[in-house]
Amino acid sequence: MSDAPGPLAGLRILELADEKGQFCGKLLGDLGADVVKIEPPGGERCRHVGPFLDDIPDPERSLSFWYYNTSKRGVTLNLETSDGRQLFGRLAAAADVILETFHPGFLASLRLDYESLREQNSRLIVCSLTPFGQTGPWRDYLSSDLLHMAAGGEMASSGYDDAEVPDAPPIAPGGGNAWHMGCHFAYMAIMAALVHRTVSGQGQYIDASIHEACALTTEAAIANYVYRGEVLRRQTGRHHAAGPTPRTQFRAKDGTYVCALVGGRLNPKFVKDLAELMDSYGMGGDLKDPKYQDQAVITANASHIIEDLVANFISSLPAEEVYHAAQERGFTWGAVRAPEALLDDAHLHDRGFWKQVEHKELGRSFVYPGEAAIYNGSPWRISGRAPLIGEHNTEIFCDELGLSSGELSVLAESRVI
Amino acid sequence: MPRLRALENIRVVDFSWVRAGPWATRWLGALGAEIIKIEWPESERGRLPSTTTPQNLEVNLNTSGNFADTNVNKKSLSLNVRSAKGLEVVKRLIAVSDIVIENFSSRVLRNWGLGYDELCRIKPDIVYVSMSGYGHTGRNHHYTTFGPVAQAVSGLTHLSGLPDQPPAGWGWSYMDDTGGMYGAMCALTGLYHRNTTGRGQHIDLSQMVSSVPLNGPALLDFTVNRRGSRRAGFPPGNRAHWPGTPLVNNYRGPTVAPHNAYRTHPGGYNDWCVIVCHSDEEWRRLVQVMGAPAWANLEQFTTVAGRLQHQEELDERIEVWSMTLEKYELTERCQEAGVRALPVQSAEDRVEHDPQLRHRQMYLAMEHPALGRHKVQNAPFRLSETSASNHLPAPLIGQHTREIVESLLGYSHDELRAGFTDGTFWPTKRARFAYQEEMLQ
Repeated sequence: MSDAPGPLAGLRILELADEKGQFCGKLLGDLGADVVKIEPPGGERCRHVGPFLDDIPDPERSLSFWYYNTSKRGVTLNLETSDGRQLFGRLAAAADVILETFHPGFLASLRLDYESLREQNSRLIVCSLTPFGQTGPWRDYLSSDLLHMAAGGEMASSGYDDAEVPDAPPIAPGGGNAWHMGCHFAYMAIMAALVHRTVSGQGQYIDASIHEACALTTEAAIANYVYRGEVLRRQTGRHHAAGPTPRTQFRAKDGTYVCALVGGRLNPKFVKDLAELMDSYGMGGDLKDPKYQDQAVITANASHIIEDLVANFISSLPAEEVYHAAQERGFTWGAVRAPEALLDDAHLHDRGFWKQVEHKELGRSFVYPGEAAIYNGSPWRISGRAPLIGEHNTEIFCDELGLSSGELSVLAESRVI
Repeated sequence: MPRLRALENIRVVDFSWVRAGPWATRWLGALGAEIIKIEWPESERGRLPSTTTPQNLEVNLNTSGNFADTNVNKKSLSLNVRSAKGLEVVKRLIAVSDIVIENFSSRVLRNWGLGYDELCRIKPDIVYVSMSGYGHTGRNHHYTTFGPVAQAVSGLTHLSGLPDQPPAGWGWSYMDDTGGMYGAMCALTGLYHRNTTGRGQHIDLSQMVSSVPLNGPALLDFTVNRRGSRRAGFPPGNRAHWPGTPLVNNYRGPTVAPHNAYRTHPGGYNDWCVIVCHSDEEWRRLVQVMGAPAWANLEQFTTVAGRLQHQEELDERIEVWSMTLEKYELTERCQEAGVRALPVQSAEDRVEHDPQLRHRQMYLAMEHPALGRHKVQNAPFRLSETSASNHLPAPLIGQHTREIVESLLGYSHDELRAGFTDGTFWPTKRARFAYQEEMLQ
């Protein structure tokens, strides 16, 4: 099985994407598609985003670029030259999918838009993934991850209890997730078009909007407004809500936190299990008292249970210990970990999650995160580290398109590649 | 006229409940697949408890607003899968379907006698997507999640908040939404693979594990540079960098200032705008939009290094100006001048005030048999040849039982009636809804 091709083997994707779409290219490439990343001569600007290997800034040392560009080959091409356009046209004629994140109208201005390219390749799928889509009053607006998290509604839902951090602003969760949201939906749209093509034989054009993807990703916030007219308040480490709900984040002995659902679940069965969990550490307090098998008593003592017993229990143990002890007894609780703690997670090791990726030019290998899902019939894999600038120019332009090495030199001299 | 759909003639057996699984099949439905949602009122989680029932309606199995938005484009079959007869019905359904999708704990389907091997015996090229909390393999496969726990354990929660404060985390189940995305992505990928090779497979998705790759750059900073993210000034709130701490990228994008949320007029709970300048040029444009105040020409603000170092003062001064404008007006002025700014938008803002979402018809009203006419969220992409719009309101529980059992699976009407009498299609002791009485006539 491990030698079997990925589910997208045989597909050729041309990626013309910056921070907005590079993750989508990675999703396709790690599942077996042949993703050719087309960068402007000198390299794409995301190569300048840190952190960098050993903190030495260099377009070949951006860890962000490394991560988001695995399993791709890389060529350089200046689309604003006629030679560049001509070469791109030849690549597009044999491609299955083009993923692009240019400003709306840019490819059309070069006559490289879907309408132009489909003339020589009716099976072609073009996905434009842009901040706001190809139409509308905000079409030309500038954006960033933070801007999308604001307008998409993520910030209006995330932050702190008023009492915990008075006057706190709405908080945009980090990690570049606006781009992830856009890329997940773009991937879905591309796959839908590809499935359709297996039946119809025809390609199509996809206009995907990151703003809309973000606006769709706040769970029940829209439904709360549409059906009840409610605007939700932000609460520390837990769900937005129309009115205050009991806290779910407790400080553990090691200073980190545990996400523990207690409030809202306080019934006799839960309290019995809770008493047993805490009693196994000799910290059951009065919770084993039979009076707590009466719902009315439980409700009247909710604050005692949460603020005295549970809070004390968690504060006396390391977060990891609470997490595993609670889960083993059926509690849906978890330790609030820093990402690097995941390297020690035995479950992930059991699933073969961490991958060694070779950086031959450095003579080193590094550990990369692996797959969201295990495809049992067609494995996910990182086929190679992110491409160096123009690394596959010869492979693509000479071996595949038949250019001579002399022609390649000419193109390099005139900044076409 | 009905448009062509990408997943025409694809049938999905949907055992999923609560949020992540139903959010996955919602999109497969929008793309044209026939989604058959298998439900049982005694063990239902998703319709009840409901906190989104309109104030003027009784809370019951058919009046959750959030369920209605999460389950458009589906049909509902009420069926007791844990009865011998129910299992037989579901096997007949799987035999004429393409995809099976569920988000139970890791051993549930197998314990019902519907493990992958059995699914293959029924339908050799079935695409089976399991969406459990921790996956079907690995020592913690029996652990359970809901969004905030997956977010906590995977490191996502830690990336959100102000320095020296507890994590702010995500104010909703981001990983139920995103877990749903991955469920749909896995199903589509498995389907493409089946269509091109003739082979199905089991795709073992885990909500917790699928959160981890969303922390890629932070993880590489550790595995490559040995730099952890429990460090001074991290996470830096809405800033790209917290002043007074070492200058290190925060995994959101370039390290620049200004990069923050600012209060706007009239200072209400969601009256905030975010402003970001990626370059000196963009900063100079912002200075112009602010009316070229004298302070902005002070030397410490003319370079990115200076703005990062003097962020407290910079942000205070920008906020004095931003408080003079309402958030949409500020946005418009900035964007017209080429400055990155957008308003913090609540759900009400998105539905009522966002001109872009209105133009793109993000929220179109649909009639629901129990809830009436309400806006429903649309797809964030337009496919030129195969539209992905909402075409069916969320089903009432068991609404399509007769259609599926008789027309699709070929049972007789008498068999349907018998199934209602013996507890296969509805609990014998539970009152039936009027539409169920009607389907038994």
